Amino acid sequence: MNDAGNGNGEWLTPAERRQQQLERLQISCNRAYKNVPFYRNRFQAADLSPQDIGSLEDVRRLPFTERRHFGEHYPYGLFAVPLRDIVRIHTAPGIGGSLTVSGYTARDLKMWKEMVARALKAAGVSADDILQIVLHPGLANWGRDYKDGAEALQASVIPLNALHLSKQILVLRDYKTSVLITTPSSAVQIQELLFAADINPNELSLKTLILVGEPASRELRRGIEEHLHVTTWQHYGLSEVPGPAVAYECEGHEGLHVSEDHFLVEVLDPKTHEPVPEGESGELVLTSLTIQAFPLIRFRTGDRVRVLAEGCPCGRTLRRMEWLPDRVDELLVIQGVKIQKDQVAVRVAQTLGFSPKKLSVHLVRQGGYSALEVQLGMEEDLFSDEIKELERLVRKTAFELRQEFGVPVEVRLLEGPSVEGHP
Amino acid sequence: MLIVRNLRAGYGRIEALHGVSLSVRRGEIVAIVGANGAGKSTLLRAVAGLIVPWQGEVLFEDRSLAGTKPPAIVAAGIGLVPEGRWLFPPMSVLDNLRLGAYLRLRRGDKEAVRKDLERVFALFPILAERRKQPAGSLSGGEQQMLAIARALMSRPKMLLLDEPSTGLAPLLVEKIFETIVQLNGEGITFLLVEQNARAALAVANRGYVLETGRMVLQGRARDLLEDQEVKRAYLGKDYRDFAEGRAR
Repeated sequence: MNDAGNGNGEWLTPAERRQQQLERLQISCNRAYKNVPFYRNRFQAADLSPQDIGSLEDVRRLPFTERRHFGEHYPYGLFAVPLRDIVRIHTAPGIGGSLTVSGYTARDLKMWKEMVARALKAAGVSADDILQIVLHPGLANWGRDYKDGAEALQASVIPLNALHLSKQILVLRDYKTSVLITTPSSAVQIQELLFAADINPNELSLKTLILVGEPASRELRRGIEEHLHVTTWQHYGLSEVPGPAVAYECEGHEGLHVSEDHFLVEVLDPKTHEPVPEGESGELVLTSLTIQAFPLIRFRTGDRVRVLAEGCPCGRTLRRMEWLPDRVDELLVIQGVKIQKDQVAVRVAQTLGFSPKKLSVHLVRQGGYSALEVQLGMEEDLFSDEIKELERLVRKTAFELRQEFGVPVEVRLLEGPSVEGHP
Repeated sequence: MLIVRNLRAGYGRIEALHGVSLSVRRGEIVAIVGANGAGKSTLLRAVAGLIVPWQGEVLFEDRSLAGTKPPAIVAAGIGLVPEGRWLFPPMSVLDNLRLGAYLRLRRGDKEAVRKDLERVFALFPILAERRKQPAGSLSGGEQQMLAIARALMSRPKMLLLDEPSTGLAPLLVEKIFETIVQLNGEGITFLLVEQNARAALAVANRGYVLETGRMVLQGRARDLLEDQEVKRAYLGKDYRDFAEGRAR
């Protein structure tokens, strides 16, 4: 039987790929138009009907979907199937203080399982592996999808749990973990903790490190690889909606193969929204081709990528992209969690009881991992004779921000004039 | 092998297909399921050249079939087994089969046609037994076999089957689908449209769901069989659960 016809679209010829994408794009548009008022109204506002999408290029006639739309249609407004067909409801911390809800049909879960399994297989994961998942709770849906995908390969899975990193390293050593899935920041922390705990990497069985959630530079990866004696692989995913391993590295480690059998890729100039010339970087915009419950049409990821034009020696015909560190939007990505600066400002104001006039929000890198840094300028409302009182406010603000976002937070008080205004 | 893109077609002023795309790879069995009136037969008729599409393209083995007349499409290797079988009831089984090889007989391939007759008689022994009987005297299942056998006489690379299970008892439906699998094993590619989604998806590699002239689902046949929407709309699953629940 024809393997290409039977699900695994890693090896299609360019002509087959275009035909498959067109068929699936049309089905996605038909379903979104039929079942989701949000999409139907947007089609109609653009004076389009699904049958106007006669080529892959026609997708450009459709409006974008952005993160704010998830909040605006909370909770079930973007679902394209009746709730009775939904078998999993996932919540992610949204932006602007709202939650992001996505749903999966049984078939969606199966699709993700196969997609994740395929990405893991490309990294050499097999039934002989013991695979440990260490992710921020905000990426819990990835944890589940990685568990399902790894189980499909019959690997032994140590799923996402609530253990602190200092305990995770014991699991890593004692359970003889051979594959670790985590963010680059956590990988660096794990590396530091191992050394601090006097655990020699030679005591570990770890050979494969799959880095997710944020782009990792070559230098960072080389550092981790040398310290932990591992090979690193990068996966790209969507955290709020659908899931992980949308793009993945093969043994060539030159760019990430995008699952074009499940997503249509556009790389656009963030300002003009026109496709960038070949080889240039732009914003990654994704349209889902096979997702049933939560279709995405032209979702602006905010991630900056560059498509590699050449074919890959591995033979996979899925196009490769380079995932670049800077974003095209204002979001801060810390351990895979996306944070809006406005959101931080709102939380700080709630904690202090007033809106600080001088506030700036940054991402800082401490050693290898990143943290959220909030700089507060001194001002009268904040001023207190007592150093203790000031310290209390700083601690409280940091605590509240950690509670809200679940990432490392630093709050610093600065002399007024030295702080630039809020972003 | 077969590629359909943005096909729009209909009858009179009524558009039955609103931009349909699909593909069939060599060696596959692909099923199109959908309710009555979804446009399934229109789709097959457009591929076979019996109606002229309003828009869109149909490619067979990388060649456009635009403007190609039905006999040339048969000669290219596409055979159609129409719904209702379209046999010639007063003519004998043998003559109906010979008609299927009309183009080849006209070219004088008598010897090859004789061999193919033997082949289809080996495939359907019942037709060999009844070769002299008028086609109209056969049972429904036998007539469907004859219709498939007749299409095979043109030596198709691909067979289009329109509702092969219509009007047949479950056992015969099974027999017809077994034959499809057997012929597929011998190298014939199939595109079949069916209201009997369960039977069609059970033998197909892949499937599409057509709804009021638009494709709304696609996938591996075994995934579609498990799909809640397909179950509800085309497999009568909810009703059966209900009925079985009552019986207990």
